[in-house]
Amino acid sequence: MAYEPQFYPGATSVAENRRKHMSGKVEKLRDVADDDLAMILGHRAPGSDYPSTHPPLAEMGEPECSVREMVAPTPGAAAGDRVRYVQFADSMYNAPATPYFRSYMAAINFRGVDPGTLSGRQVVEARERDMEEIAKFQLETEMTCPALGGLRGATVHGHSLRLPEDGLMFDMLDRCRVEDGNVIMHKDQVGRPIDKKVILGKPMSAEEAAKRTTIYRVDNVAFRDDPEVIEWVHRVFDNRTCYGFKPEN
Amino acid sequence: MNGYTGYLIIEPVTASSQRTEVMIMADDRKKMFAKHMEIKYTKEHGTNKMEGGEITDMNVEYHRLGVDQNPRKLEMRKAGEELSKKRGLVGYNPMMHCGGIPLGQRALTPSFLSGTDDMVEIDDLHYVNNSAMQQMWDDIRRTVVVGMDMAHETLEKRLGIEVTPETINHYLETLNHALPGGAVVQEHMVETHPALVDDCFVKIFTGDDELADEIDSQFLIDINKQFPAEQAEVLKETIGKTSWQAAHIPTLVSRVTDGAQTSRWMAMQVGMSYISAYSMCAGEAAVADLSYAAKHAGVISMGEMLPARRARGPNEPGGVSFGHFADIIQTSRTTPENPANIALEVVGAGCMLYDQIWLGSYMSGGVGFTQYATAGYTNNILDDNLYYNVDYINDKYDGAANAGTDNKVDANLDVVKDIATESTIYGVENYEKYPTTLEDHFGGSQRATSLSAAAGSAVAIATGNGNAGLSGWYLSMYLHKEALGRLGFFGYDLQDQCGATNVLSYQSDEGLALELRGPNYPNYAMNVGHQGGYAAITSAAHAGRGDAFAVNPLVKVCFADDLLPFDFSKPRKEFARGCLREFEPAGERSLIIPAK
Repeated sequence: MAYEPQFYPGATSVAENRRKHMSGKVEKLRDVADDDLAMILGHRAPGSDYPSTHPPLAEMGEPECSVREMVAPTPGAAAGDRVRYVQFADSMYNAPATPYFRSYMAAINFRGVDPGTLSGRQVVEARERDMEEIAKFQLETEMTCPALGGLRGATVHGHSLRLPEDGLMFDMLDRCRVEDGNVIMHKDQVGRPIDKKVILGKPMSAEEAAKRTTIYRVDNVAFRDDPEVIEWVHRVFDNRTCYGFKPEN
Repeated sequence: MNGYTGYLIIEPVTASSQRTEVMIMADDRKKMFAKHMEIKYTKEHGTNKMEGGEITDMNVEYHRLGVDQNPRKLEMRKAGEELSKKRGLVGYNPMMHCGGIPLGQRALTPSFLSGTDDMVEIDDLHYVNNSAMQQMWDDIRRTVVVGMDMAHETLEKRLGIEVTPETINHYLETLNHALPGGAVVQEHMVETHPALVDDCFVKIFTGDDELADEIDSQFLIDINKQFPAEQAEVLKETIGKTSWQAAHIPTLVSRVTDGAQTSRWMAMQVGMSYISAYSMCAGEAAVADLSYAAKHAGVISMGEMLPARRARGPNEPGGVSFGHFADIIQTSRTTPENPANIALEVVGAGCMLYDQIWLGSYMSGGVGFTQYATAGYTNNILDDNLYYNVDYINDKYDGAANAGTDNKVDANLDVVKDIATESTIYGVENYEKYPTTLEDHFGGSQRATSLSAAAGSAVAIATGNGNAGLSGWYLSMYLHKEALGRLGFFGYDLQDQCGATNVLSYQSDEGLALELRGPNYPNYAMNVGHQGGYAAITSAAHAGRGDAFAVNPLVKVCFADDLLPFDFSKPRKEFARGCLREFEPAGERSLIIPAK
């Protein structure tokens, strides 16, 4: 029987959502056009070529190397793309994703990624076209509510601030607004104005966000109500502690 | 898992450590941070227009008023403008932030120093803006403890000079003239102006009551008066009949030079004073023995020398062990019945020294570390968590959180897991029930420090074991991360992910007793928001036992001195006085600069 990863313990909806994020089996909810994505990422003009830092690998005459033969390069690496980033921030008020689960998703399901996990934000660096693929995946699926999470290249403390009256996660740089029921982005990741309003989709209702979230909250699914997760954390803790004390045990 | 059901708790009656016992249900427990959150977030401060609402509200209107809402930012902007005009070179300009977006797009709110009712501007918690914080570090850096017995033996056994209480008093009078920079033995010497070095002095202490009785009271740190009786007995017994000098060189000298200067400056003046007081020949060989004793054999620095890659001498913050720091802070002798308060004062002082000054300035060169550090000692969030834990422990473990040695609970992993889990979940849920606390601790590293310091200190108080407390710290980190799906920044929680493994490691450099660890311990050397907590856990273990000291009785007694400019028994109050510009620091130069 083929091995099936279990990904994460727990019997609650939050645990189940964590398993979905880690496995990459998430629901697609919206479309974001490639040019719109390029615009809000802010790394290159929409439709322009990908800047490169070296010639395509096929033209470089790579040295004989068994590892290179075993591992096919990602499209971005094969083309010689530069390394660029996408960074998300997610509100602690039931945003679907959390930094660690964005990182787990990236590391498990995508190749050539360098995820960085912080408290208020999560960054992935990769070859530019590879990065765009993972950015698009996250923006178009249930991993992201455009009101409660989104692209934030700088100033991410909104993740833990109370929600403004329009329900959008606070953003000091005012990159997003609600217009005609949709969240639009009129600045790029780092707050530079862009030439058009990019539609990111409708905000999730409070009920939908609570259903899809990967964060435990006492007013939704409390952490203490998922004993299997706590037991698992205790087991990790026991093993790490005892290993340092007496490795043979 | 331990849900809470209601039991005897202690409700805070003021924001200070004065508390009174009442019987209420745990669910109705008054939160210690409630008053501070209400003033911070539901009252207008400056012109931030934050009047109204509840501290439990999840939504709020952000007015985006920039720096114009805050009095201190306005003062700083004005100063920046005047500076630019005066020197013809631009300086501070808050509109430089993010290409012209002003700092303060959300409400700029004041903070309270935990354990006090003092409301302060957060800018004033940066040590550059706070003279009390500067003086706390000055007072540690300029201090060494120096033994007298080796010198006395040299005088008596080698030179046949009689040493009596009278000669010791005469020597101390001489040294209190010489240590600040007064000349002895040689004439036609330049000297330091007494008004510039008025904070410099030396006193002695001993465990010998008979000797202490014969020392002029102006020179004596009287252990019997400074410490509760039980602690005094332990200290005197530990120190025995040895006698020690608590030497504090001038703040001004220490600021111009460095911590390593302290023992040199002290030793030179000590040597000269022995020569003068005991009428020795300035050139006789015994002087070298006195000098060696003062410079090396009999001197105890507050901080150890650091390796070359960190390039600091003795008495710099990176070398101050958590045990020494726990002893430097004096709350253990003023509120011995309240172990939590002792740990909380150490947290505040430790976060300031280790995070703001050591890691924040010495090591990183930045200014942002202040924001991390203040989470540990402002607005009573950590205090509430720890006092909740005390109640929980006393209820479940039959008073184990009270000071004492025969009431402690075994330091095993089951106890660590129980207390640290309850503590962490309680703290996490407060962030969820009170969105204003989440907004106050707006960074995950702030939350992690607060939650883990509460958990670790609680375990340490209950068990009387610092390493058990450290174990609780790491479990708290794991639980926090899994509950919220986030922890600290990239590097912040690096040491926490692997920390449990070195709590009891069989490798001696990793499994060291917490008291003997310090800022330069493997893995501890780089990340903000930990070391103040570790120092607190160290002190909590001993406070929980009601110990007289954590690791070094000499250090504990040395700082039990009201003459020091900084009051080490209540550092958080002192920081507040610094914020309010009420603290009087030492080492000022107004005497020798043009009057303004």
